[in-house]
Amino acid sequence: MVRVITGSLVECDPSIRALILQIDSTEHDIVIQELDDTHLLIDKSKVEYVKTMLNKLLAANTYNPLDDEENNDH
Amino acid sequence: MSGKRTYDEDDDFSESSNSSGYDDDLDDPLFGSSKKTKTLTVAKRKPNEKVAEEVSSMDHLAHLPTGYVPDVVSKMFHRHDFSYLELKPDHASRPLWISPSDGRIILESFSPLAEQAQDFLVTIAEPVSRPSHIHEYRITAYSLYAAVSVGLETADIIAVLNRLSKVPVAESIINFIESATVSYGKVKLVLKHNRYFVESPQADILQMLLKDPVIGALRVDSANLTSSNGLTTAKAPTQGGLVIPGTKPGESSDNVEDIYAAVVGEKAAQEEEDDDDAFDAVHSFEISNDSVEVVKKRCQEIDYPVLEEYDFRNDQRNPDLDIDLKPSTQIRPYQEKSLSKMFGNGRARSGIIVLPCGAGKTLVGITAACTIRKSVIVLCTSSVSVMQWRQQFLQWCTIQPENVAVFTSDNKEMFRTEAGLVVSTYSMVANTRNRSHDSQKVMDFLTSREWGFIILDEVHVVPAAMFRRVVTTIAAHAKLGLTATLVREDDKISDLNFLIGPKLYEANWMDLAQKGHIANVQCAEVWCPMTSEFYQEYLRESARKRMLLYIMNPTKFQACQFLIHYHEKRGDKIIVFADNVYALQEYALKLGKPFIYGGTPQQERMNILQNFQYNDQVNTIFLSKVGDTSIDLPEATCLIQISSHYGSRRQEAQRLGRILRAKRRNDEGFNAFFYSLVSKDTQEMYYSTKRQAFLVDQGYAFKVITHLHGMETLPNLAYASARERRELLQEVLLKNEDAAGLEVGDDADNSSIARKDGLKRAQQSSAGQKKAKAQRTAGSLASLAGGEDMAYVEYTGNKNKELKEHHPLIQKMYYKKGKK
Amino acid sequence: MCCGCCSFPAILSLYAVCTNTSDKPATCLSIFRLLPSLAKFYVTSMIFNEKRVLVQDFDSWINSNGKMEKAEAIRALKALHLIKENNSIAVLNPVFRTSFRLVLTGSESENSFGVVCEASDTHKVDVDFLDKYAANKWETILHFMVGTELEEIPNQAVLTLLRHSGLMIGKTPNAMKITNEGFQFLLQDVNAQLWALLLQYLRMAETLQMDPVDVLNFIFMLGSLELGKDYSLSTLNETQVNMVSDLRDYGLIYQRKSTSRRFYPTRLATTLTSDASTLRTASAAMNKAIERAKDRSASNVSFENAGTIIIETNFKLYAYTNSPLQIAILNLFVHLKQRFANLVTGQITRESIRNALLNGITAEQIITYLETHAHPQMIKSAEEQLGKRLETGEQTNTSLEILQPTIKDQIKLWQLELDRIVAFEGSLFTDFSSLEEYEMLRKYSEEIGCLLWSDNNKKKMFVTEEGKLQVISYAKRHFTKRP
Repeated sequence: MVRVITGSLVECDPSIRALILQIDSTEHDIVIQELDDTHLLIDKSKVEYVKTMLNKLLAANTYNPLDDEENNDH
Repeated sequence: MSGKRTYDEDDDFSESSNSSGYDDDLDDPLFGSSKKTKTLTVAKRKPNEKVAEEVSSMDHLAHLPTGYVPDVVSKMFHRHDFSYLELKPDHASRPLWISPSDGRIILESFSPLAEQAQDFLVTIAEPVSRPSHIHEYRITAYSLYAAVSVGLETADIIAVLNRLSKVPVAESIINFIESATVSYGKVKLVLKHNRYFVESPQADILQMLLKDPVIGALRVDSANLTSSNGLTTAKAPTQGGLVIPGTKPGESSDNVEDIYAAVVGEKAAQEEEDDDDAFDAVHSFEISNDSVEVVKKRCQEIDYPVLEEYDFRNDQRNPDLDIDLKPSTQIRPYQEKSLSKMFGNGRARSGIIVLPCGAGKTLVGITAACTIRKSVIVLCTSSVSVMQWRQQFLQWCTIQPENVAVFTSDNKEMFRTEAGLVVSTYSMVANTRNRSHDSQKVMDFLTSREWGFIILDEVHVVPAAMFRRVVTTIAAHAKLGLTATLVREDDKISDLNFLIGPKLYEANWMDLAQKGHIANVQCAEVWCPMTSEFYQEYLRESARKRMLLYIMNPTKFQACQFLIHYHEKRGDKIIVFADNVYALQEYALKLGKPFIYGGTPQQERMNILQNFQYNDQVNTIFLSKVGDTSIDLPEATCLIQISSHYGSRRQEAQRLGRILRAKRRNDEGFNAFFYSLVSKDTQEMYYSTKRQAFLVDQGYAFKVITHLHGMETLPNLAYASARERRELLQEVLLKNEDAAGLEVGDDADNSSIARKDGLKRAQQSSAGQKKAKAQRTAGSLASLAGGEDMAYVEYTGNKNKELKEHHPLIQKMYYKKGKK
Repeated sequence: MCCGCCSFPAILSLYAVCTNTSDKPATCLSIFRLLPSLAKFYVTSMIFNEKRVLVQDFDSWINSNGKMEKAEAIRALKALHLIKENNSIAVLNPVFRTSFRLVLTGSESENSFGVVCEASDTHKVDVDFLDKYAANKWETILHFMVGTELEEIPNQAVLTLLRHSGLMIGKTPNAMKITNEGFQFLLQDVNAQLWALLLQYLRMAETLQMDPVDVLNFIFMLGSLELGKDYSLSTLNETQVNMVSDLRDYGLIYQRKSTSRRFYPTRLATTLTSDASTLRTASAAMNKAIERAKDRSASNVSFENAGTIIIETNFKLYAYTNSPLQIAILNLFVHLKQRFANLVTGQITRESIRNALLNGITAEQIITYLETHAHPQMIKSAEEQLGKRLETGEQTNTSLEILQPTIKDQIKLWQLELDRIVAFEGSLFTDFSSLEEYEMLRKYSEEIGCLLWSDNNKKKMFVTEEGKLQVISYAKRHFTKRP
């Protein structure tokens, strides 16, 4: 029998997909189904949370010149 | 030479972990707090703690002058809205602004006055960024110390700043300059006619010193010259006919008066000169040779650090060295400028000269040696550069080979003439234990003599402890430190400041590139997406393994292969840099290219380097950290960096330096290439941008390449199939974590320092992690940046044997020739 | 002539509202001023010309390079119903012709250019005052848009207009935020901004049962009034009197009290239809005027009209400005650091750009802003670079790059980073009992345009939230038939 699951379809590149799975592995209840290399079905109430977390993870890989400077300046 | 290398006598330490050197970029929990030192706050170790006040510690609006009404956008700048500083009526013709709160200077480089302003600013302030249009400098306690030491006076500094500034120089800045310069550079220690004198233009300071219980007691009563105040008075030294070899007298346009004249106008300079005659007398008292160290120490304690100057023209005790530049040797304007700072008053000032790699630091050192003409000792970081220094001396100047000696693990012969030149490495000289008989003999020779001049090459990479030992064991009258990058905000710079002297000169990279002295370089950061499999493992693994995964990312390998192919076809000579030895071997072997790392024997190194230079079949070589400094390869026109030391801006600058002296740099439209390959979405991205910060501030632009066109269709592309990639992944995963480590030198001394240091750091970093600002992803950045202990993995002699099993192709290319 | 090109579409739409060509001479003059130059030429050639003009004649009046321009001119004239084509004879609209002749001969008697008050104003204000007043009003609106903290915010009518025009969103004044369109709006010169808002005003006017023709005529009339004179409300009809209070809020008109029977047009109004509208911002317009009036000999380099911004490859930004508005705009995407009397410094960072992007500003807009406001030094070095490229025969890139490519690339890359994850709400259909059922439903979803993703092997598909119910009911209809 056909099942209908409500959620958000997330389209992303494989690295982002891996990061979302990583977030899910500690927080759970985010990813409902892994669809393919570039798609995930996730809980729709968690979309904003996932975006925030992703930004955090990606920001950690970005050097901010102000970090160094402000230590000196302020 | 027996061929047997004793463990203690390896020359190189340049592969050592930076954490024991002057590394700028480790987010060290130990020094973390000092990094937060306010610019205008004098660092802890500074002699005059009195001025350690925050200039604008006031309330948000309290610092604003009465009558100034902030507008709607004022708040956006917090305390940094200085729009209340009224522009001078002719502000358009003045080139700079000075921030009252942090001493930052903003300079319009397109102003007609910019060139003079730059000459002045580089003397009194630290260059922060010097790209195309707007430059930033910053006045710090150190920079003022340097300014004073080359003869600028407090009033000059303030007057010239005021002349150049569009807005009035704020009271806070004037106070800071005054307080920082009040005691700096006022006392000099001069060796004259083989006697030591404490000298000052201000008699009252000497009076004060004489009242000091320690110093007063050490004064030697010189004969009848003494006047009523107990001091000897003489005319201040001037350049007085001293001509730096290779320059024409009177052409040097860099003494203080000239700068002043240029910006203030002739009239003022004239007045200045008139003053000179009346004013510039110096007073002095004598101390004995034995008390020099005590006096120096005491002066520093009481905030009057002594500047050392060597009056070499009046030194009759030390025999002259017969050395001069060859008539054919030409020195460039900026080299001359830097030397004029050193010899500005006819004596030799000790200090540091900062020139980009490839801009001819060696020639600056040689010219200085030819000016002083006394026995010289040169210390560098590896035995390869020892040979290069020796060769350059013979090439540029008239010194005879019998006057030149080298001291390395392979060479322990000294010169037999009265005066001479010795070239050695820091580790050879600093080492204290288990010396062989021969080397002990040489050390005795070195320590028993008085040297006129010591040249310290690549000063920024030398571990502090080793450095201190070198400077204290070798008695030299004048010290010159050479480096490409004195990275600032590092507390350890203060060590250099007091062990050698202030920074005398720092060249502008873009300026040199525009004038054709160094090559134009196209810089690019190539983003290599991690394959899904590698990325999944990456997210799962420990910090150390992560590093191995992002270095061995198949896409990165492919990018490297593609770029080598592309540039070889263009006729470029390529150097590929990898800090990680495992990756270095994997890449080089798979691509069939020769490689050099710390364990590569000297003979093989030379062999590979020579082939790279002269053999048109060998167009690419792989180098580990040993290639960062001192290996001089003017043939190279393209650099590819596949792994590096975290966020070290210094390393990035040095690597770029490898192509700045490219032979073809003056060809029409010539560009050298510098590629940094980074695995996307990994910590490498963070480090990569951080590493570039120094170069970017020099005006280099890194183009981001997200896709290399044609890479997928490259014939014989490595790891093109999923199976190959899986196999590579398996191999990487099976590797011991140690494989992720960086190469470490095998100098006993060095690694023991490193190990101790590492242990301390490991403890510190685990304790400091909670506070560390870089705790972004599971604390891993902080621990990585702190170096953890991974940087101290050793590759000792045994590793050599493993590597003997070279790829057949390389065997064929190199060892055949070697056997003949 | 800037005005013709940038505000022409707005005029066109405004004019399209009027069914017939206006007989108001002031309107005719305004429209004429706003025409492309070639169209102006055609009109003047025909206005007193009694002979027939053949459509081909238009070609003979221009040289061969002007084809494009001609087409543009004819298109404009036709769209505005100013000329008609009758059997290849071009006829100038007679109403327009008559009115425009009145303008040119000065025999206009209808007060369409306004009536100057005869009695002198006891509270007379000067041009200086009007300039300040207008700049303040207009900049308050712009400041509000960029989110500057203000002591006094624009009144309700202005906020409604901003919301209606889609320049800002948010229900309460505190919650209002600039939109992508709003940012685009800020990048335009003040004249284009005014026209954009007036156009919006016109649209709203219709819903308020104001006669658009009256509205238009009043706007065009304002464009032909004289700065510094006071005009009487007596000749205005009711709609137009109502407009006065609105236009007061925008700074187009000064009226001492709402009950006052006289008004002063400000420079914003009188330059509405003028050619000299290359003024970047309101304050620039004012500064220019003030400077011109005050100090002709001043040697100060004025950066107001030249570009102001230098951005270096280390992402440090320096803007030669003291305009709070420009600073506030920069604050939308720059991390500001220091400010001097004629310079602000800042840095572009991932965070600062990201904030702007999240506010709906696009990377392209930021780049355009930086390019159009580039300091002459930036342009100079861009030209030098171009010269070098051409010299070395590099053919790949022959356009002027005012911004270093690395800056542009990086700003775009930050935008791409935001697009790395896209989420759609909807439903996943799974566990199909047969491939046929899956195929049927997949096909149906595709047909009604709600299929977002499907996997034939796994027999799974995802449809949009909107299409979900429709797909379910289709499934019920077709699948339940089976036992």
